[in-house]
Amino acid sequence: MTPDLSAPGPLAESAAAKLSLAVPCARLSLRARGAAVAPLSAALGLTLPERIGTRASTAAGDTEALRLGPDEWVLHATPAALPGLLAACAALSPEHPHSAVDISGRELTLVLEGPRAAELLTLGMPRDPDSIAPGEGRRTLFDGVSVVLWREADTRFRMDIWHSFAPHLASLLATGCAELAAETA
Amino acid sequence: MLLIHCPYCDETLPELEFAHAGEAHVARPENPSAQSDAEWEEFLFIRRNVKGPHYERWRHTHGCGRFFNAVRDTVSDRFLATYPAGAPRPSLASLTGESE
Amino acid sequence: MSRFRVPGRGRVNPDRPVTFRFDGRPVQGCEGDTVASALLANGIHLMGRSFKYHRPRGAVAAGSEEPNALINTRRGPGRAEPNTRATMQEIWPGLEARPQNCWPRLSFDLGAVNDRAYMLFSAGFYYKTFMWPRSFWDKLYEPVIRAAAGLGVSPSEEDPDTYASRYLHTDVLVVGAGPAGLAAARTAAEAGLRVVLVDEHAEAGGTLLSEPQARIAGLPAWDWLTAELAALKALGVRVMTRTTAIGYYHQNMIGLCQRLTDHLAELPADTPRERMWRLRAARVVLAQGALEKPLVFDGNDRPGVMLAGAAQTYLHRFGVRVGDRPVILTSHDSAWHAAFDLQDAGAKVAAIVDTRAAPPAALAGEAQARGIRVLAGFTATATSGRLRVRSVRVHPVSAGTVGAGEEIACDCLLMSGGWTPSLHLFSHTKGSLAWDEDRTTFLPADTPEDCVIAGAGRGLWGIAATLADGAEKGAEVAASLGRGASAPALPVEGDRTGSGTSHTELATDRSPSRARAFVDFQNDVTAKDLRLAVREGMRSIEHVKRYTTNGMATDQGKMSNINGLNIAADALGRAQPKVGLTTFRPPYTPTSFGAFAGYHRGGHFEVTRRTAIDPLAEAAGAVFEPVGQWRRARYFPRPGEDMDTAVARECRATRTAIGMFDASTLGKIEVVGPDAVEFMNRMYTNPWTKLQPGRCRYGLLLGDDGFIRDDGVIGRLAHDRFHVTTTTGGAARVLNMMEDYLQTEWPELDVWLTSTTEQWSTIALNGPRVAELLRPLVEGVTLTEEAFPHMSVAECTVAGMPARLFRVSFTGETGFEVNVPAPMGPALWQRLAEAGAPLGLTPYGTEAMHVMRAEKGYIIVGQDTDGTVTPADAGLTWAVGKAKPDFVGKRGLARPDLTAPGRRQLVGLLTEDGTTLLEEGAQIVLDPAQPVPMKMVGHVTSAYRSEAAGRPIALALVEGGHGRMGETVHIPMPDRTIAATITGCVFHDPENTRLKLAAPGGDA
Ligand SMILES: [Zn+2]
Repeated sequence: MTPDLSAPGPLAESAAAKLSLAVPCARLSLRARGAAVAPLSAALGLTLPERIGTRASTAAGDTEALRLGPDEWVLHATPAALPGLLAACAALSPEHPHSAVDISGRELTLVLEGPRAAELLTLGMPRDPDSIAPGEGRRTLFDGVSVVLWREADTRFRMDIWHSFAPHLASLLATGCAELAAETA
Repeated sequence: MLLIHCPYCDETLPELEFAHAGEAHVARPENPSAQSDAEWEEFLFIRRNVKGPHYERWRHTHGCGRFFNAVRDTVSDRFLATYPAGAPRPSLASLTGESE
Repeated sequence: MSRFRVPGRGRVNPDRPVTFRFDGRPVQGCEGDTVASALLANGIHLMGRSFKYHRPRGAVAAGSEEPNALINTRRGPGRAEPNTRATMQEIWPGLEARPQNCWPRLSFDLGAVNDRAYMLFSAGFYYKTFMWPRSFWDKLYEPVIRAAAGLGVSPSEEDPDTYASRYLHTDVLVVGAGPAGLAAARTAAEAGLRVVLVDEHAEAGGTLLSEPQARIAGLPAWDWLTAELAALKALGVRVMTRTTAIGYYHQNMIGLCQRLTDHLAELPADTPRERMWRLRAARVVLAQGALEKPLVFDGNDRPGVMLAGAAQTYLHRFGVRVGDRPVILTSHDSAWHAAFDLQDAGAKVAAIVDTRAAPPAALAGEAQARGIRVLAGFTATATSGRLRVRSVRVHPVSAGTVGAGEEIACDCLLMSGGWTPSLHLFSHTKGSLAWDEDRTTFLPADTPEDCVIAGAGRGLWGIAATLADGAEKGAEVAASLGRGASAPALPVEGDRTGSGTSHTELATDRSPSRARAFVDFQNDVTAKDLRLAVREGMRSIEHVKRYTTNGMATDQGKMSNINGLNIAADALGRAQPKVGLTTFRPPYTPTSFGAFAGYHRGGHFEVTRRTAIDPLAEAAGAVFEPVGQWRRARYFPRPGEDMDTAVARECRATRTAIGMFDASTLGKIEVVGPDAVEFMNRMYTNPWTKLQPGRCRYGLLLGDDGFIRDDGVIGRLAHDRFHVTTTTGGAARVLNMMEDYLQTEWPELDVWLTSTTEQWSTIALNGPRVAELLRPLVEGVTLTEEAFPHMSVAECTVAGMPARLFRVSFTGETGFEVNVPAPMGPALWQRLAEAGAPLGLTPYGTEAMHVMRAEKGYIIVGQDTDGTVTPADAGLTWAVGKAKPDFVGKRGLARPDLTAPGRRQLVGLLTEDGTTLLEEGAQIVLDPAQPVPMKMVGHVTSAYRSEAAGRPIALALVEGGHGRMGETVHIPMPDRTIAATITGCVFHDPENTRLKLAAPGGDA
């Protein structure tokens, strides 16, 4: 059961959970530390979050940052916002050392939602879904593959996956949607 | 499957998110070319293979991505401590409550 | 109703008859029956044959510890399970159950001749019998033993079922839903904790299911149970039945195998057969109860001889009277109640035989009131009956002397040798055990895990004691997690407490050497075998176990370990704790491979990574090969072409027109930051400082040991930005290595690494007409030799798509690599295919790529190198920046062994007949006439048919190869020896004239 990932939209749905492919967005891997962080925050129009797993957005809501590591953030933005973000970062070099790399083409995002979306994750995620609060996110593991998980709400998650791993994971998630629903029945 | 505390994430997480990375506090010499063959051999190949508390490195590969250090008892497979890369090694006495 | 079903008893549903097949015949049971209880309801005790002697056997227990009643269950092709315990398998209409280890049929088994030859099969018989002559072992003994050995037969068809797995996190896991477990779960849940309660049986209740006479908190036990389960549900406790805790792993991770469909007649959609839970609990309460011990005496394995507690379970839980005329043989009070309950259920108890001289007077009084004969201070020395016990021979024992025997007729013999705490999971934690002399058993002591034992598992007896202990342990666990909890007091009426004594073999008046007193029923180990092992020099209990195979069967000695220990300790003349117990290991009960595999089978066995362009290759009929986790197009056959033909055509097209190759799997790392060039200087052998933005260089990566780890072309995009490529298989490893050095050795460097492997679709274009194709499509860079020479990189657009364009070649032809954002890859591939069609553009796969790079002597790391090859060995000294003060591997290259003469060096090989293709991996010798074993001086690393060279070519690692140019070496093959000449590695266009770019408008 490998869902068709060629176009955004629903991939699998049951009474327990729904799986869909999100519309493509712009993605930026941002690396910096120490004194360079504040100028980057100012340039990007958001406060780069300090604690690993926390998030922040621009006032316009067109860009959101999630802290993945001590010197690492991933930014999701509207495609229109990306050139501005890259330019804003570039303008800070070399005084404020950092790395901004466009990774928009690297990944896709699956959306998991529904009453048992959190349980759906337990098919492949060793860590406790409850340890990721709504509004937070983490890089973690799903079925042996590194993913970035954004918890939007109690019952809604986004999962960023490198393209080549996505069919494998989508297949398991689709299996899980059906399995969880059969369990409820 | 162990639980490992990542000192960067400040979370205790399943071992599957981590990768073991060998003995800790084996610093690469400042100027390798000045090393004698014996010194270089020591750096490259000689490890302590400890039975008991062992200073070792792990990487939070499927998380924050950072390498960090740990003290793990190789007999009980218990972590006594984890700490950031570059931090000084904690004394065993402070971890085990015994004198070394 | 079946002959032995007791109306009004049991939890089965007599209104819902269920027919299944056993040994080819239909058998009727009730909904709620197991195979064993349904067979017993029909008076069938003979359920299987033993493993070694093929002795007739019946169910001896009623739970998962059952050693004898192993059946093969079937549900059509592929759905067959050997070694299923009939005591655990629930019946459903249409279930097909077959006995095992018997041929031609259960009641007449030819293998039973082993039984009469039992003197030959004593302890260690494998070691003794098949010692000599040595050559007989391989040819005769082993094949025969292998054919005869093994429990059951596994199905040969593919298993059509699905299996699942999940992670689960909870505060408290309680294993075992008997009174202790129920009370612990209730107390912990009342304290506000998340609680999971598991039990391996079809329903929760444990011993309460077998003790309906008790009243708890004023309610009949079963009513209390119903109310308690409802209360647990209301508290949010997850109660999982048919779920076995199979293993206790580090830091409170418990493996739970949940059986979801084996009890169902109809398989529900989307439901796996089994699910493996990997559960992590802050605290674990083990409430697994105790297992009853058999008594050890001659003939204790006859069908109809069963544990008294099992008889109680059959009566109370299943409403089955296991016989009409039972004899009870016991050293423990508990079995007396089996006598009383069976008598009350219509049986005529022939006698209660107690080994103790003075059993409790209260019990004796009750027996007398029921008119049951009591023989106290007696032993049993034999049973009779072929396929079912018919009588037992008992004797008074006085001051160690066995008196005159008496034969008592019976149709079942219910034994009890006392109870052993079930400590298997506790032992998985490396928990220590303490010997309890009073109970003659081991009790749990310390464990490194956050785990407590409750109830009968720590030697407590009776419902009141275990309920109270469970509640107490639940409160203890809650307190340790910072929750206040109170353990409620639950008054119990009708409780059956008791005690007993323990034995080795029962006293006998016969020669012990003739006694067939079984200790391990499943592996057919007798008390005599254990004593023989000790006599023959086994001292460690682990040696005794392996020599006799006691406790080594699929039941892991659940019933035999303690009896085995007591007998071995007696034979050794040492106390039990000095002898020690053997180790219990996971899984607790046999677990299917499917449950361990979970979702990872078939197409989901492991990740198969595909590039964005992969679907186009598939549509074009490509043949694929796995490379690491990737699948890559190997070649694109046209109708009628085999691989060699297709590859030759692809190479020809590339060398004469244009070849197009999906190189997207190449690892890519973006190295960014003000210290990027310093980082590159330290990581790679090459010097990078003078490489200008817009230029590329071949980079070689070593380990600090000096050996080649990886290579790839690296482009400098800006002063602070490099585009690094790695091998396909090395991508993750190289990034990890770079992060390691950066984070832990050079944390002061301001540089960051980002994996961009999947950011880009990479299309390699090679061939003399490639500029003709690209010039009209490329904007932002002029494709001339002057403006964009070989080893250049530019950011530009190709066919309107944002691109990083590299001028590189892995074929020796003029070459470009176009990188566009990955999702645009298919569009670019199609656009190039269309535009290139008039120019003769041909897609090629990894095989042609391999051939063409070998024709040019370009190495593939991991094929032409093996982790022991230096740059000098590979002829890559030119790539090493000797002037740099340091780089990873520089000091390593100066190690004595790496500079010593006689190292294996990469050379070309041409077979002297000019037509023979060498085999990759073949070994090379200098003198083919030397005696075997020959001295091998190297091996072939790559070998291909080359149209460009006009002959087969090969690369090889040969000792001192660079100094052997023109020499002949020999490659011994099974059928002949091939002679080959050592050459340089470049077989095509050694002057690199073909890398040049034709001027615009010029003919290519
Ligand atoms: Zn971390």
